[in-house]
Amino acid sequence: MTQLPYAIDAETPLNSAELNVLRAQYEKEGDMVGVQTKFNYAWGLVKSNTRTDQHLGVMLLSEIFRTSPERRRECLYYLALGNYKLGNFGEARKYNDLLLDKEPANLQAANLRSLIDDKVAQEGLMGVAIVSGVAVAAGVIGGILLRNLGRKR
Amino acid sequence: MASSSQNDYPDVLSSNEDDSVISTRGLEAFGRKVTTTASHLMGPLADPSSHPHYQSAMSEVQKQLRRPNLQRSMFSMARTTPTDLVRSKLSTREIQSRALSYVPDDMLQNIPENDNSYSLFQGFQATFPELTDEGKKHRRRVSRGRKLLEETPIQPGSPHAVQKLKKEKSSMIHQFEMLGVRKNMASSEIREIDNKMANLAGMRKIILDRLANLEQEEALLEHDIIEVEGRLEDAQELAEEAESIAMQTPTKSEHDVGGEDSPGFMSQSIYEKLPSASSTPSKPKKPRNIRRKSMPILHEHFQPGTMIRSMRAHQDSITALDFDAPFGLMVSAAMDDSVRVFDLNAGRCIGMLEGHTASVRALQVEDNFLATGSMDATIRLWDLSKAHYDPQGSQFGRDDEDDGMAFENPDDQPVDPPAGSMADCPLFTLQAHLDEITALHFRDNVLVSGSADKTLRQWDLEKGRCVQTLDVMWASAQASAMSAGDSTWRQTTRSTDASADFVGALQVFESALACGTADGMVRLWDLRSGQVHRSLVGHTGPVTCLQFDDVHLVTGSLDRSIRIWDLRTGSIYDAYAYENSVTSMMFDSRRIVSAAGEDVVKVYDKVEGRHWDCGAGIAEAEEGKTPAIVERVRIRDGYMVEGRRDGVVGVWTC
Repeated sequence: MTQLPYAIDAETPLNSAELNVLRAQYEKEGDMVGVQTKFNYAWGLVKSNTRTDQHLGVMLLSEIFRTSPERRRECLYYLALGNYKLGNFGEARKYNDLLLDKEPANLQAANLRSLIDDKVAQEGLMGVAIVSGVAVAAGVIGGILLRNLGRKR
Repeated sequence: MASSSQNDYPDVLSSNEDDSVISTRGLEAFGRKVTTTASHLMGPLADPSSHPHYQSAMSEVQKQLRRPNLQRSMFSMARTTPTDLVRSKLSTREIQSRALSYVPDDMLQNIPENDNSYSLFQGFQATFPELTDEGKKHRRRVSRGRKLLEETPIQPGSPHAVQKLKKEKSSMIHQFEMLGVRKNMASSEIREIDNKMANLAGMRKIILDRLANLEQEEALLEHDIIEVEGRLEDAQELAEEAESIAMQTPTKSEHDVGGEDSPGFMSQSIYEKLPSASSTPSKPKKPRNIRRKSMPILHEHFQPGTMIRSMRAHQDSITALDFDAPFGLMVSAAMDDSVRVFDLNAGRCIGMLEGHTASVRALQVEDNFLATGSMDATIRLWDLSKAHYDPQGSQFGRDDEDDGMAFENPDDQPVDPPAGSMADCPLFTLQAHLDEITALHFRDNVLVSGSADKTLRQWDLEKGRCVQTLDVMWASAQASAMSAGDSTWRQTTRSTDASADFVGALQVFESALACGTADGMVRLWDLRSGQVHRSLVGHTGPVTCLQFDDVHLVTGSLDRSIRIWDLRTGSIYDAYAYENSVTSMMFDSRRIVSAAGEDVVKVYDKVEGRHWDCGAGIAEAEEGKTPAIVERVRIRDGYMVEGRRDGVVGVWTC
């Protein structure tokens, strides 16, 4: 199996100087930019904490995916990771599951899957809590209103 | 998203998963675990608690039932979180970036096996420390550490040393691996660049073809324009004449309509009979200005040293050739006493110029104006725009006409062009020299000629008369008288001198005239005084060719050298030599090309300071052929034409 970084790696941002070096390298090569340079910059962006950087990173990764078929399998993982960081769990799951389909033994991808599941579940719980809270509140208010109406009648 | 869910889950139930409120996945997994556990329990093997399968199965069951999995099973019907859903539907920026990073499904289907020698992440790891300063420091530190380690005495017994060595070893192995990755990266990058270059070369070829087509169309259209302009002029002339006739004879107007063009024709035929010079300068000037509005640029995009065309122009050695512009008209003369005009664009002979009674030794083409100097001691002037030639003939009559006309194959016999196509070209003849003309040059209305009678003559083309005769021997005698025999006429020591032309080369610019002679001297004359005002001494053999621009004068000689003189100081600026005598030389803004007794043209690139060879000798040497020696060479704007001893003319870019 090719070496892939674990999701934890994506959570450790580069400092701005390092990112600038990658950007400079990427910009220097202009239109004829090589895959590796593009990936380096994209990966640096995905690792970043700012959302715009992450967006750009995912965009570059999808470009690599489109242009170099021999890198697609790897890119699947990075696309999943990038979308996971962006909170686009639907996309992340789509890419990651596709990869797991091809490589069921991929530890990194398996790790990412459980991370996505956890995140979705967590936020889902929160969502349910909010929704149920709202519903309870609505019920209480509705009840009070009904009771008031009943009294009036 | 829902549409692609079939691919996402390999499970059988996956397609239903979105619809089911409570996921069956967890339940099913749990059920699987229970059945396996049960089968193990019921199996004949004793002591289930110690059985590894039982252990693992039970632990998995437990894990499944732990909290996150409970949640998972509860909420996995949600493929994503509410926030994500809200974002993806409402925020324009999010939608935009999603659109940009969208990967079409058919690409997702088409994922090849991974056979790269290194992963992108490995590449990242390998390059990243290299890019940042920190990494460089780290590398240095490592190497220094290694040195330090070698310096410190190692106690073999201490565990500390072992630890350190192990650490060192692992870091070195890591570095080694990284180096391997970097090596792979570099080679794959080179491959990538090769691919890109191949693509670009393909694109360049396509565009070059397009350019060639455009140029062809442009040339044809230009020819049409010229033709229409000519007809317009004629029509206007006729109309004017008709008007004037009508004014003179108002009563007979009706009768004269039929004979209207006869006065025009008459005047034209009279004009054609006129050998006088007075009418010539004004007449050829008109088409001269119309010609070549467009600048051919195609040859500039070829690789230097590419052959554009090769054709057998003559059966004998080429003695002189010149052309007006890239892809324009070329005139060549050979020992077989013929002078031929070629269309370089189509590569075919337009016609033969007849009149000289001996072979032509010197000629020059400027716009449509041609001057030829012959061994019969006369100079003839021609107007090439009067040739009856239709460049479109190559288009329309390709089937029947072209096979016989074009010389695509250099070994083809030269085919005679239609007789009389050049009948209107001769303008007039200059006769005054007593011996063969060996060099001539003209600019504007001044023509200078050098002859074996040891004189130079200056001609006024406006009047068609010789206006000055310069005696070289007299000038050299004058010079020797003044400066005590230092620069007298002296026979050079070379044995080839007998065959060398007395006047090897000439060039005129307004009142300045440069001439190179068989004594190896280059004399600069002032035509206003008729005196030599400077002599350039240096060549040890007869000067055969010469050209100057505003700064430099370049000369070539049978002493095998090319010398570049500084015109302001009169001193040598640069010089270089070849294996054999230089017979012909010309320069343009960038290169000096010379024919030096080889089957290739010697090119000196002034900008890069580089010498290289261009010509048939390079490619054909590999095929075992030996092309003839290049005798004459001309260049204009990187478009080079060379004439060889076997009568073949080659056209090259350089």
